[in-house]
Amino acid sequence: MARFALEGVHILDFAWVGVGPITTKYFADNGADVIRVESAARLDVLRIGPPWKDAMPGVNRSQFFASFNSSKKGITLDLSKPKARELAKRLVPWADIIVESFTPKAMRNWGLDYENLRELRPDLIMLSTCMQGQTGPNALYPGFGQLMAALSGFYYISGYGQGSCTPPYGAYTDFIAPRFSAFTLLAALDYRRRTGKGQYIDMAQYECAMQNLAPALIDYHATGRVLGPHGNASARYAPHGAYRCADEDGNERWIAIAVADDEQWRAMLSVLGTSSSNSAFATASARIENSAALDEFVGSFTRTHNAQELTAKLQSAGVAAYPVENCVDIHQDDNLEAFGFWHWLEHKEMGPSPYEGLEHRMSRTPGTLRSAAPILGQDNDEVFRGMLSLSADEIEQLKKENVIF
Amino acid sequence: MPSELLKGLRLLDLTDEKGALCGKMFADLGAEVIKVEPPAGCSTRRIPPYLEDKADPEHCLYSIAYHAGKKSVTANLATRDGRALVADLAARSDFLVESHPLGYLESIGLGYDALAKKNPRLIYASITPFGDTGPGKDYNWADIITWAAGGMMYLMGEEGKPPIQMSLPQAGLHAGAEAAVAMMLAHYPRQIDGLGQRIVVNMQACIVWTLMNEQAMPLLHGNHLTRTGIFVGSAEARRKMVYECKDGHISILITGGTTLGNSTKALIEWMGEKGFGSDWMRTKDWISWVPGAFMQMTAQDRAEVDDLEATISRFLLTMTKHEIYAQGLKRRIFLAPVATAADIATDEQLKARDFWITVPHDTLGRTLTFPGPFVKMSATPIGSTTRAPRIGEHSDEIYRSLLGLAPERLTRLRAAGSI
Repeated sequence: MARFALEGVHILDFAWVGVGPITTKYFADNGADVIRVESAARLDVLRIGPPWKDAMPGVNRSQFFASFNSSKKGITLDLSKPKARELAKRLVPWADIIVESFTPKAMRNWGLDYENLRELRPDLIMLSTCMQGQTGPNALYPGFGQLMAALSGFYYISGYGQGSCTPPYGAYTDFIAPRFSAFTLLAALDYRRRTGKGQYIDMAQYECAMQNLAPALIDYHATGRVLGPHGNASARYAPHGAYRCADEDGNERWIAIAVADDEQWRAMLSVLGTSSSNSAFATASARIENSAALDEFVGSFTRTHNAQELTAKLQSAGVAAYPVENCVDIHQDDNLEAFGFWHWLEHKEMGPSPYEGLEHRMSRTPGTLRSAAPILGQDNDEVFRGMLSLSADEIEQLKKENVIF
Repeated sequence: MPSELLKGLRLLDLTDEKGALCGKMFADLGAEVIKVEPPAGCSTRRIPPYLEDKADPEHCLYSIAYHAGKKSVTANLATRDGRALVADLAARSDFLVESHPLGYLESIGLGYDALAKKNPRLIYASITPFGDTGPGKDYNWADIITWAAGGMMYLMGEEGKPPIQMSLPQAGLHAGAEAAVAMMLAHYPRQIDGLGQRIVVNMQACIVWTLMNEQAMPLLHGNHLTRTGIFVGSAEARRKMVYECKDGHISILITGGTTLGNSTKALIEWMGEKGFGSDWMRTKDWISWVPGAFMQMTAQDRAEVDDLEATISRFLLTMTKHEIYAQGLKRRIFLAPVATAADIATDEQLKARDFWITVPHDTLGRTLTFPGPFVKMSATPIGSTTRAPRIGEHSDEIYRSLLGLAPERLTRLRAAGSI
């Protein structure tokens, strides 16, 4: 039996930044051989993105890059040079899957598009992922996930009310799209096994993001109603929100609470050591109706509690609650710890470094982070000498010409 | 038509809102997805908002969206017969995904071990809020709880106000999609050795993963971000990322470097044409203004950024989202409108790609427009889908054709409240 789920699967990964590398990370952490083709002439921007080891920038010091590229091999080729493209092409017959995430014209201009590459491997599966897809008037839209999160509607539904816009952190949609692309690639692999047919997959991160907003988009098309920002107000739960707890070490602490029914409401009051005869809070629908006053009422009691202790008490009383964790807290979280989520991996330049682990666990062929991210060009020798049988002299010459670069 | 990609594979969907998207993804790729729900319908049938505010399962937008393409059978798990039906379905299925409280399905004989005895091929995924071993394994759940536990909530909102979640809760969707990936990962070795396995999905981990580069910030830089509203970056290096315009908001990334610096240059040129901006902005070398500098902005950087942001703020107020986006596309400036559902529904790009699909709903006497496929595939395209099933709409069909139950038996099961 295979130790990993995807042993024997080969991926040639021309992708950069977020979505492409996160997609191939699923494969790499599950035993597939993933070779990332990078270029020092056009560096993956994440290689210089923070945080860095010891807060000192450097192309091999970024945890931003490292987190998305565990378990992979890395080679460097300056694809703007014909010789580099020829070397890349020599790896194509080896590859079950090719992934790329440039703006649409780049691979075509280099002659590395699907139509050309399938000549070298007829059953090739190739995924192109970009912001808005390979076709259409805005196919060449430049941008990063932050902007995509605005364009695809997530910024607008993040705020305290009409006119307020307090976006999610970071490139939110970069963490939606890879689950769709990895799922599709795995299904395409299975289809190929059954039929012998490869194919080309055009993935717009925009169109993946829409899947997470489907109810609101269907509603708008049908009725013209636009889902707007409404803070933590809910039509199902009240209280529902974040409530201030006792500060710790000068930092403000909050607890998230969601109460679904009368039983939970009474349980929450009892834990908070209070009761309420206010008719505005007497029924679930009244509490939803009067949620602003309710939030103030609840917040006046939580303010003296320790967020973690209150969580434990509310949960044992049957009320959904959890501390609002910051990025320090998540590294000390008992539940993530019990799941074995965090990994410290030995990186060639960064030394021991903190990586997020997998978000699921398989019983029989569990994936894991097999190695830290590659430093730039880490596996050039293994790939160019071992796989392509170039001599040391040839490699030296190609390095001089900045082909391997 | 769904894709042909997963044709011939069957998934039993025993999830609620912690995983409904999983089955939807399988259905889109052509698998047969059978949603198993209680006779009164699963809790996802009662999630507001409702189409035209009609509070019944047929008008529940969540169900309309995320049960599309599935079939529905009812089975009362409180009865022995109901449980036996699900066990029989599982014996004839390739995948099972569930999100019941931990241990519940085991307690009624529908746990992985029991089902795998009859069907060793079965891939069985359990979606959990906090994993299956930690102190929170049995915790009560609502989507906002995972948003808080995963660290994203802490980063959303303004100083002096509470942290917030999005108006459309997201955590359950991430977990559902993760379950879909994990089950297909497990499918690969099964095609080789015929054996399935058990998967546990951890929703809290799914949200932590959305924190991008922020998770390691405390460990490597000794600091972490707090809620900063429309700004991004640490306190001293803060940059504005959302600006008001005539009819809403615009997001712009102002930074340096080879790619991004050109965008900033283009923006300054555009402002110059309209009489905005000052000389220093036009002469500044934006390309060598590296992003690294932003972690600790010098006093001069700070003053320049403040001036630039104030100028952009005034400039953008003179135009609409649509006008600004059009210029951004033309001039290759890294910007985007803060789009509403209305903006998205009328977007030219999505139209040009024939993104939207129409799905007839005879149950509502109308046709609804849905977001289309998440990918475009050359050999096995995803086309349209079918409307969400009514509660138990396919009970007869499935129980007869798949389990071979006689009509009299179905009548008896129905009378006994098992289906």
